[in-house]
Amino acid sequence: MNAEMDLVDFAVDHARTKGATYAEARFEKQEPENFILKNGVLDALYVGHDQGIGVRVLANGALGFAATNTLTKSAVRGIVDDAVKIAKASRRKTKITFAQEDSIAMNWSVPESKKLADVPVEEKIAEIRDVDKEVTGLGFKLAARFFNLSDNRIRKYFANSEGSHIESYSPRLRVFYFLTMLEGAAVEQTARNYGWSGGWEGVSTWGLSDRVIAEARSMHKSLTEGKKSPEGKMDLVAGPQVAGIASHESCGHPTEADRVLGREAAQAGKSFIPPEGIGMKVGSELVNVVDDPTVEHAIAYYQTDDEGVKARRRYLYKEGRVREFLQNRETAAALHTRSNGAARAVNYNVEAIVRMANTFVEPKDHTVEEMLEDVKFGVYMKTFMEWNIDDKRYNAKYAGREAYLVENGEVKHPVRNTIIELTTPAFWSAVDAVGKDLYFEAGFCGKSDPGQALDASMGGPTIRLRNVYLR
Amino acid sequence: MEDIASRIVDKAVSLGCQDAVADVIENRSYQIRFARNEAVISNQWRESSASVFLVHDRRVVATDIKDLTKADEAVERLVKTAKASQPNPEYAGIAKGPFRYARTRPDPKVLSLDEGGKYVEAAVGGAVDQGAKECAGSFWKYEDEHFLATSNGVEGHDHRASLYLSIRALVSLESSGHGIACATKLSQFTPEKAGQKAGHIASLARAPKSGKAGRYTVLFDPLIFGSLTDQVGGRLSAWAVLAGLSPFGKKVGKRVASPALTLYDDGSADSIARKRFDAEGVPTRRNVLVNKGILKTYLHNTSTAKKFKTKTTGNAGLVSPDSHAVFVKPGDRSRDEIFSEVKDGLWLTNTWYTRYQSYVNGDLSTIPRDGIFHIRNGEVVGALKDIRLTDNLLHLMKNIVALGDEPEQMMWWGEVSVPNFVPYAVIKDVGITKSAE
Repeated sequence: MNAEMDLVDFAVDHARTKGATYAEARFEKQEPENFILKNGVLDALYVGHDQGIGVRVLANGALGFAATNTLTKSAVRGIVDDAVKIAKASRRKTKITFAQEDSIAMNWSVPESKKLADVPVEEKIAEIRDVDKEVTGLGFKLAARFFNLSDNRIRKYFANSEGSHIESYSPRLRVFYFLTMLEGAAVEQTARNYGWSGGWEGVSTWGLSDRVIAEARSMHKSLTEGKKSPEGKMDLVAGPQVAGIASHESCGHPTEADRVLGREAAQAGKSFIPPEGIGMKVGSELVNVVDDPTVEHAIAYYQTDDEGVKARRRYLYKEGRVREFLQNRETAAALHTRSNGAARAVNYNVEAIVRMANTFVEPKDHTVEEMLEDVKFGVYMKTFMEWNIDDKRYNAKYAGREAYLVENGEVKHPVRNTIIELTTPAFWSAVDAVGKDLYFEAGFCGKSDPGQALDASMGGPTIRLRNVYLR
Repeated sequence: MEDIASRIVDKAVSLGCQDAVADVIENRSYQIRFARNEAVISNQWRESSASVFLVHDRRVVATDIKDLTKADEAVERLVKTAKASQPNPEYAGIAKGPFRYARTRPDPKVLSLDEGGKYVEAAVGGAVDQGAKECAGSFWKYEDEHFLATSNGVEGHDHRASLYLSIRALVSLESSGHGIACATKLSQFTPEKAGQKAGHIASLARAPKSGKAGRYTVLFDPLIFGSLTDQVGGRLSAWAVLAGLSPFGKKVGKRVASPALTLYDDGSADSIARKRFDAEGVPTRRNVLVNKGILKTYLHNTSTAKKFKTKTTGNAGLVSPDSHAVFVKPGDRSRDEIFSEVKDGLWLTNTWYTRYQSYVNGDLSTIPRDGIFHIRNGEVVGALKDIRLTDNLLHLMKNIVALGDEPEQMMWWGEVSVPNFVPYAVIKDVGITKSAE
């Protein structure tokens, strides 16, 4: 990567000579593989070799960004000139500044016990083909099966005009599956997503076959034994996937400082939390929600962000109150604080913006059984299918995939399509018990324009909500 | 660049590939993102790459080659990977050329445009004049050039350029509106009008009250109606049908919408996504998908067409077919007349986060954003907030009762993925839910 590193360093130096008050450049080389198995047939295999350099500058108090995949000095000079020119043309009335951060020189990588590059294509295909065969062998009427195994090897070199020089290597692995099961006229669909930062050894941690078979059996049970979900106020025991999606949607997103400040207003939206909202009450005192890029092997693991700031754990909600926003250097300066290392870009050709990494409800000490035994009447929603939330992150909906009626502490028959439709404070204020069974699943998080669908994970333990309206 | 595309194909064939497609793309797009009424970043791209699709013994592989000076090595690597892969028995080849393509050229005034600040200012000014306090959005000059070659005798060149602006205007966090401007000709680009629309809706949406759950007759603004028709277009991909991601399975020849709805896909028509050919090199054309409410066809590439015993519709992507641009045949109601259709109902202007509980059934929900209004006898009588549209895609399409006579080109972040030419629409019996008290 030496030639590319020289180009990055050249870009930063050249930007300063062109009048940039700050400059950074990022080389990325991504080597993704993507296996699509649809209804037992390998539809296609995508193999990528993606690389290029992106340059971001501050000039006249405005930001310019330009990118190329032509890795020559003249091409890099050209994009630097572009970036400075378009920044200067911005005619901003208020000047953008960056929060002061330490310069860093480091080289970090995620260890791979079994290197992704060394695993034969045949073995990767077999991983999902074997699972597909096992699940079809159960004899259920699976109208459609879709498995997508993907891996990526991401090498980066970042440098900025403040003296940071950072090399990194992140191997990542992900599997997504989508099943459609029929029983008479009834249909049940599911989508699940598992991720890993590291080598091929991550596959064995998923136990994919067992999970898919268990999921298929629960779908069949729901189709054959499921009853209408009860309607009214009752208790809800929500499994880790439900806690995870809620922590991502109604804790992570509203604490992104760029949203809070309106930079995403026309796309991913704003936030119900105002800029002065640190300390605002949003939940019960049991609610601690964390975003942590340093969770080992989580798919959004990193040690430094794409602005060269060291990653750290962040409490978004602590004891039911807003504790900290996710910040990059631009938002931190605007809010008179420091970056907490939340700037990420999906590739070399887009700017780094404020993003979540691995977001989760911090576990406490209840077992699932303890939480269930105190429920007189309610629903145990283990997983969800449909979900959405408004663009200020206040009104959320989670529709159950695998859910059961609970009566006098006993888990009874499945209930179908249970709907949670609550405001963010109503959801988190109802939490009266938090489990210890912390568990993560992967997802893609969408934001920005051009859109950046970025690796993220979300999780939590099982949580209990008292007296919430379900239907 | 034509040479590179042909060279990639020749190399693949020399290594034993039965089919090969190379689309060499030069991207020279430019963007200004703005927020709080001024630019937050300007972006410029200068990228060259080749999207490559190869088939070796029915083993289908694809890649994007970013270093075009090493294209031969990339093809060799890809063929090696293909040999280790597994055959796709459903693969049925690529279209046989050569083809003749429409002579379309981008507007030279769009090509020479290298500064977009005045369009951002025009849009923001239009919104502020209507009472907006804060505006955010994006201005885009899209420009890309494609050089296509296939092993079945196709050679094609397509230079595409267009202008786009999306603006959200806010009076407050809960009072906002959205406007869109799309054009392939500079003379037809109307950012100020987009800003005025966004600002007007935002001002009208002041002091919204919480909406109520129920079933309503709803007037859909073109932007949100475009979200629904975009769902229809996307779910009509034959690939989506086969993957269990569509409610249109086994419905060709059947009623899927009200007789008021005729909908077609047309990559050849003037739109900001106009293209001469699809990923196999098949000339794009108009395909009627829904005629007076009856489903006529899915969107196909050569392989899915064979599986469904029909012909390609010219909608191939590298792996799966998809819509190019969706057009709704306009109705006969003027804007005033279509508002008058609503005696007691809602006017929705935008939405986001459309998700399905069952793709096969079409059960979905989506969250209206920006202006939401209560309408009585065609007049706005109040602004609302905090509601969710919870319904079924087929039910919504079957309940269209009126369409406006002026379609507008809509495309928007996440929700309207390709240009949708859509008028105002009135749909009856629309499910609305909201967060529990």
